[in-house]
Amino acid sequence: MSQIDKVKHTLILGLGNPLLGDEGIGVRVAEELDKLELPAGVTVLEGGTAGVNLINLMEGYQRVIIVDAADMGRVPGSVFRFTPSEARFKTAPTLLSPHQIGFGEVLALAKALELGPPEVVIIGVQPSRIESGTGLSSELKKTIPQIIRIIHDELDT
Amino acid sequence: MSKVNVNVNVHHLTRVEGHGDIVVDVKNGELVKCEWQVVEAPRFFEAMLRGRPYQEASHITSRICGICATGHATASLRATENALGVEISEQTEMLRKLVFHGEIIDSHVLHVYMLVAPDFLGVGSVLPLATSHPEIVMRALRIKQLAGDLCAMVSGRHTHPIAMTVGGFTHLPTLKELAAMRERLVAAREDMDETIALFKTLPWPAFERDTEYVCLRKDDEYAFIDGRIVTTDGFTYELDDYRKVTNEFMVPYSTAKRAKHNRESYMVGALARFNNNYDQLHPRAKAAAEELGMKPICINPYLNSGAQAVEMVHCIEDSISIIDELLDRGIEEEPLYEFQGKGGEGVGACDVPRGILFHNYIIDDEGLIQGANCVIPTNQNHANIEDDMRALVPQIQERPQKEITLMLEMLVRAYDPCISCSTHLLNVEFV
Repeated sequence: MSQIDKVKHTLILGLGNPLLGDEGIGVRVAEELDKLELPAGVTVLEGGTAGVNLINLMEGYQRVIIVDAADMGRVPGSVFRFTPSEARFKTAPTLLSPHQIGFGEVLALAKALELGPPEVVIIGVQPSRIESGTGLSSELKKTIPQIIRIIHDELDT
Repeated sequence: MSKVNVNVNVHHLTRVEGHGDIVVDVKNGELVKCEWQVVEAPRFFEAMLRGRPYQEASHITSRICGICATGHATASLRATENALGVEISEQTEMLRKLVFHGEIIDSHVLHVYMLVAPDFLGVGSVLPLATSHPEIVMRALRIKQLAGDLCAMVSGRHTHPIAMTVGGFTHLPTLKELAAMRERLVAAREDMDETIALFKTLPWPAFERDTEYVCLRKDDEYAFIDGRIVTTDGFTYELDDYRKVTNEFMVPYSTAKRAKHNRESYMVGALARFNNNYDQLHPRAKAAAEELGMKPICINPYLNSGAQAVEMVHCIEDSISIIDELLDRGIEEEPLYEFQGKGGEGVGACDVPRGILFHNYIIDDEGLIQGANCVIPTNQNHANIEDDMRALVPQIQERPQKEITLMLEMLVRAYDPCISCSTHLLNVEFV
């Protein structure tokens, strides 16, 4: 596939809930990206807490870059780029509610149905504060330029 | 004396923010403990709204729930409009109904296919279902896609309804989009027929317990937005009197609020709407109910999922009718509401997928929110879930523990509860 085609099919998906402090980092990054000029064919979407709907949103893209708060057992404010094959998502043993369907479950479901985007990159951000409130912690505010740099690097590859 | 001992402790530490636990203890045949423990950190939505301009309320509250974003936005807008005395046009009313139908279908299809069906098909969860019955999961995703596109066509985008605003819409669908959507809705009838055919074959547990069913009702249509509050115990209230229905209270072992009205508990949601408003369902939805063997008043809580399937049929049909009317009258740009410098208090109510939802705001003359209250459907169902469990356990306590646990989980799932709502922190271990 040529470089241009590859870029044309990239979706950047910011996940999380901005009403829960650092949980909203993905959405905040999506808002920042909306203000920037990105290469043609790159789509930025705010996935919020869309759960299973993410399967439909990701459909047709060659590559999906996810930005989300992630408990990776690291220092708050750590930003880490990884692919699904490098990680194991802890998922609910029994689902009592559709609200418990998170991105880990969505990826597994997409894979089982052979609907998953060929390439998935996750930019995980270790949160400091997950509690009621619409602002990010100072540790996470500082990560936004770094996350955007990582995304630019991804788009250049 | 019975020698039966049962100890069920379904512990769900699945997300950092909240979980629902089922705790049942039977000693020598006697039910000594039966608790539905919902532990959620307080969210302080009300505090988040205080001091904010009224225009922001619907955008903030639509984030409360990733599945009911439109429901919260609509209840919020109605509360604001009632507080400020804003009249909405017929076109706005129709478009709101349309996007609301999209959300009802979207939420119900997720619940009945991905949470309920796997239990009955003996596969436990949606992941093995995707392997064992991919055609079923693909159908669910097809219906979800349609519902999502319906929402996006009206409210501006797939995830949050940004075009919905006080008094109307900042973006309107075109006639071409409406006509194309109509075609897809008509084509979806086939998937609806398949859905009802599938649910007809599922072995619903034969558990019944009479309770009070509470929902909205309007004179002329199956109500989802506005109307009056009605109950199957014969009560009717205006929306402003919602606190007479909800009477919120707390129990020591659960941090989520609960509600009760005429009895110790009541139920809200699809089954409550079905029981109160069956007469107003679309004929095709009534036919679907008949296929499923459902008639009002249905007192089997497991059949809340059946009522959801019936409502999906209704919403598809009603969406087609609304689009027909819009195509006939045309879509017009309408002036947006401008604040008149006079505040007030208002209540907005919607029957969202999980049941009746109330927003109540006090807005000052500067247009700032000075007070807010929000009563979500799941909290109104907690006490009823526990009362069902208390009635169910003695009927099934002789069965194997594994089966008892599954029956209780299925009962909770039938209510489609909004626990750990909108928290989706990834939990990662590196390999």
